Amino acid sequence: MSQAVDTTNGLMQRRTLLPYPLAKGFVTVAASLIVLIMISLVLAPSAVSLGALKGSLPFACLIALVGLGQLLVVQQGGFDLSVAGAVSLAVVVATHYPNGDNAQLLPAVLIAFGFALAAGVLNGFLVGFVKLNAVIATIGTNALLYGMVFVVSGGVPRITTPLLAGIAGGQTFGIPHAVFFLAAVLVVMTFVLKKTVIGRRFEAIGANPLAARAVGLNVRTHQMMAYVCAQLLCCLAGILLAGITREPTAFQGDPLLLPSVAVVVLGGTSLLGGRGFPISTVIAALFLNQLSQFALAVGVPYSAQTIIQALALGFGIAVYSVRWTSNTTKTATKED
Amino acid sequence: MRDRDVTLELINGSNLGTGASALGTDAVAPGAVILRLSNISKFYSGVPALLNVSVEFYAGEVHAILGENGAGKSTLMNIISGALRPEVGEIEFDGRNIPAMSPETAALLGIAISFQHPAVLDDLSVLENFQVALPASLFAGKPAQDVARQAMDAVGLHLPLRTRCDDLTVAEKHLLEIAKALAIKPKVLILDEPTASLDQAGTDMLFGRIREVVKAGTSVIYITHRLAELRQIAQRVTVLRDGKLRGSSVVSKITDADLLGLIVGRTLGSAFPPKSPDGAKDINFAVESLSGAKFSDVSFDVSRGQIIGVAGVSGNGQSELMRALAGLQPSKGTIHLNGRSLASRDLLREAAFMPSDRHTEGLAGSLTVRENASFAALEKFATFGVLSRKTEMDLIGRTFKSLAVKAPSTEALVLSLSGGNQQKVVMARALLSEPGVIVADEPTQGVDVGARAEIYRILREVSNSGTPVIVNSSDAAELEGLCDQVIVMSRGRVVERLSGADVKEDRIVAAAVKAETHVGDSGVVAGAKSTGGGWRHFLQSDNAPAVPLALVTALLGLYVFAQNSNFLSAYNISNILLLATVLGFIALGQTVALLMGGIDLSVGPLAGFLVVVASFFINEGKSPWMIAAGFALMFGGALIVGAINGLLIRFANFTAIAATLAMYIGLQGMSFLLRNAPDGYISAAVVDVINTQIGPIPLAFVVLVAFALIGEYGLRNWRLGWQLRAAGSNEDSARRIGVRTDRTFVAGYIASSLLTACGAIVLMAQIGVGDPKQGASYTLSSITAVVLGGTSLRGGRGTFLGTVLGGVLLMEILNAVAFLGLSEQYQYLFQGALILVAAVIYSTVRRRTSA
Repeated sequence: MSQAVDTTNGLMQRRTLLPYPLAKGFVTVAASLIVLIMISLVLAPSAVSLGALKGSLPFACLIALVGLGQLLVVQQGGFDLSVAGAVSLAVVVATHYPNGDNAQLLPAVLIAFGFALAAGVLNGFLVGFVKLNAVIATIGTNALLYGMVFVVSGGVPRITTPLLAGIAGGQTFGIPHAVFFLAAVLVVMTFVLKKTVIGRRFEAIGANPLAARAVGLNVRTHQMMAYVCAQLLCCLAGILLAGITREPTAFQGDPLLLPSVAVVVLGGTSLLGGRGFPISTVIAALFLNQLSQFALAVGVPYSAQTIIQALALGFGIAVYSVRWTSNTTKTATKED
Repeated sequence: MRDRDVTLELINGSNLGTGASALGTDAVAPGAVILRLSNISKFYSGVPALLNVSVEFYAGEVHAILGENGAGKSTLMNIISGALRPEVGEIEFDGRNIPAMSPETAALLGIAISFQHPAVLDDLSVLENFQVALPASLFAGKPAQDVARQAMDAVGLHLPLRTRCDDLTVAEKHLLEIAKALAIKPKVLILDEPTASLDQAGTDMLFGRIREVVKAGTSVIYITHRLAELRQIAQRVTVLRDGKLRGSSVVSKITDADLLGLIVGRTLGSAFPPKSPDGAKDINFAVESLSGAKFSDVSFDVSRGQIIGVAGVSGNGQSELMRALAGLQPSKGTIHLNGRSLASRDLLREAAFMPSDRHTEGLAGSLTVRENASFAALEKFATFGVLSRKTEMDLIGRTFKSLAVKAPSTEALVLSLSGGNQQKVVMARALLSEPGVIVADEPTQGVDVGARAEIYRILREVSNSGTPVIVNSSDAAELEGLCDQVIVMSRGRVVERLSGADVKEDRIVAAAVKAETHVGDSGVVAGAKSTGGGWRHFLQSDNAPAVPLALVTALLGLYVFAQNSNFLSAYNISNILLLATVLGFIALGQTVALLMGGIDLSVGPLAGFLVVVASFFINEGKSPWMIAAGFALMFGGALIVGAINGLLIRFANFTAIAATLAMYIGLQGMSFLLRNAPDGYISAAVVDVINTQIGPIPLAFVVLVAFALIGEYGLRNWRLGWQLRAAGSNEDSARRIGVRTDRTFVAGYIASSLLTACGAIVLMAQIGVGDPKQGASYTLSSITAVVLGGTSLRGGRGTFLGTVLGGVLLMEILNAVAFLGLSEQYQYLFQGALILVAAVIYSTVRRRTSA
């Protein structure tokens, strides 16, 4: 037994090109996207034409933004159903208050972020401190947010301001502006999650709140932070959406809820919490978008597109379910 | 590792028979052999938990099984009760060979087990716990109350039968567990440490019962750690150690010393570092009369360079003490570290806790080795909150080197490491955070021999460097080798202090197993619990929310009526109720899902999809056969959808949210695939039938209420209902009492879909056309209705009646907003406020009553 005592450093730093090993989710979803693009090139070149890309990319970016918000909540083992209300409220605030007046845009944007902050704090407080189930808390908040949508707009759509249309819907160097916003969020989020004390604590708490508490980390505050950031990202997405759509309705956020969860799952993040994959989530959003484009180009009706999305989602979950089993011990312990 | 020869020699050395065969001619005239285990072996991933164990159990006597933690006692009991299958060996019951023992077979044969951790379902009442766990035949022809009352009387447990088990003390749960086992009048009764939480009176009462059943011919297998109890109650004793049979004897023929000799003496095979030299040293960690949950009045001092051990039979307050020392659990008393007094909050920061259960509390399984090692000390690698990878790698590398952590890479998943290296990662994290004190709970559990030596060495080094180290271990030999001082705990109190040369395994074990103190919480005495009357029970019951809900519904109705008398017109009432009927049926389905601790997001789109399906068959001018086929298809489709949901969740590892979300999207697509735009008008004749009214009340609503009442009755009075709630309450306990949980869950999701189909029929009559856009919104509103109704999302507790009331209230509010002339925003604001307020109230009430 004494030969087991090995005082040399047992660690061998694996030599790879990248400092981080590639995550399974990243490989899967990136490979899927590449395969899809190649299939598109052969079968439906129009789906990958410049025009099609420019038209659909902004919407893919919005799904990605909302997905990144959902990702943060999912990392804490939660779930944010108020995404729809959050986006809708931001859309309405950004169009209704300025009512076409460029000068009023900045105050409107600030008000929108104020609402988002309040909603995030409410969600975070209910889930982190009152220990309400995330589904219930966010359903309730969602209804309140929609209430605010009608308080603000009365349900009547207004035309977006030209300035916002230029900022959100415009293009620079032929690239839609939404892409720049998404890229900025992605860079910041990846940096904070992987490179800062706060981000690493955040991931550890999500991966095992009990262990995090045992070393004295503040679990509740970090959980609350996730909901706040999610709301802020939804708000950003909503403001961009208000600029991209000419006359947005009061329910503009509804179609974003399910894709926001789907891209998180497809990106390889476990719904049980823990490590999050922002880049994979964004690629998953591109993948879902391309899937729709492809289906559209080959003449599949809208209906079949959602079926394809459901199958892709189911397939994605099945691929990652191996990871999930190692996490099931967490579900066994009932949270009080 | 010892080989088999040594074992035999030890058995011979203590003048015992070498096996069961020698026992047949004993002075105690035993009954027939009722249960015979031959050459049982059981392995966990290659590591033997039991090796070649053969035991015979005789009718009409108490056979005690003795051994330290990890000796294999519980594994053996699980094999007898069918919860585990041995890899090798045979089980013979009453002369018959039982090739595949399962919990069901065991129950049929009359093998009853009272688990050490009672398989009592907290969300069910006392009576229901009996009803779900005991075979139906026991209740045949008798009122269930009498059967349960009788079983409880037998163990001296006096509780109102409707009490929710959540409110029971640990002792009461143990007695209930024993009562369940006794009630089936078993041929073999297994009691796994039944007295652990009982006081003296409870123990005496239990022993009386055991003597009675033994007289009646039952074979009792009694697992214990206490020699005193063994002498009182058992006729025969078998000792296990390290998964091997150490010996069997008639109790009267063996001395305590011999028994101790059999229990202890395991060779550890790892080297211990030298202990701290004697001599007075300054005390750097002092605990004075510390009390908390499950331990009281604990005092000890740690001198510089000393390691203090906490010993005792597990479950005697040691782990609670450790948690209190780590600041994870409140405690009273004083704790001084280097002269500073520490409160619980300081401890959380100062103490580095190494939990006994690494997987639940020590490691973040989905993160890498590096991330696990560093998450307690991240600020050490950072400037202005930004981490330096180099500093992190350097520090971790250095720590890993000194701890000799063996990992393929710092980026490997921590769970890919061996148990020993996982524990070293936990230690590395502890050391990196430069703690004031190290609290190690079972630091070598699940750690291989080589790594143990390393862990001992590290703990000693830490101690030498001046950081106090406190180690809890159920392995007395380990404490002997490692510690300078040991306190032995029994029932929450320190019963022995050993230091210096007295720190010996036999002294530790003797103190632990000979302790006779009974401080357990009162089980029998507290039996005189306030019975409080029916009102109190109603308040605790799942249906309690029905009263405030009905009240709010009525008051709101009256208020709106005062503003606008048309609100309570027959037309409007039937309008509200019709809308509530659709939601009600779908929400009933959702209730089933939530009762199981799951969720069904697919109900809304499913309802819409089924209407679209119906719009192809149930049209004007179609033959009755066609119309019948339409209805059949609706239910058939729902059945398939429910089955897919259930199967994905139970057998493909999908979470409930993920599976039903994919189904949600898929079903929406299917609806659009079948109908691109609204089309296919539903036959007016069918619509008329569905919309039949009795006065202002729609017939469909009456059916809904009937469904809810039947469901409510079934939930509390049918085996299926108990099983559903049992599975949702605690899946593990449910499985142990023989509920087939997989089957129950799949059936539950099917039920959820079928109820949604009922809702779809009413919805069909309302929209009157196949519209692919309809339905989806019912998912969220069904959850809202269920939560309003008072069903808990944690599973196990819920009410169908409340759900219907919740649905009615929701629809009433939406309708009232229009009647009050309020704008649309109030629909949403009221809805949101209502669900949040209800959820907060329910969760607060629940927390208070269960506290």
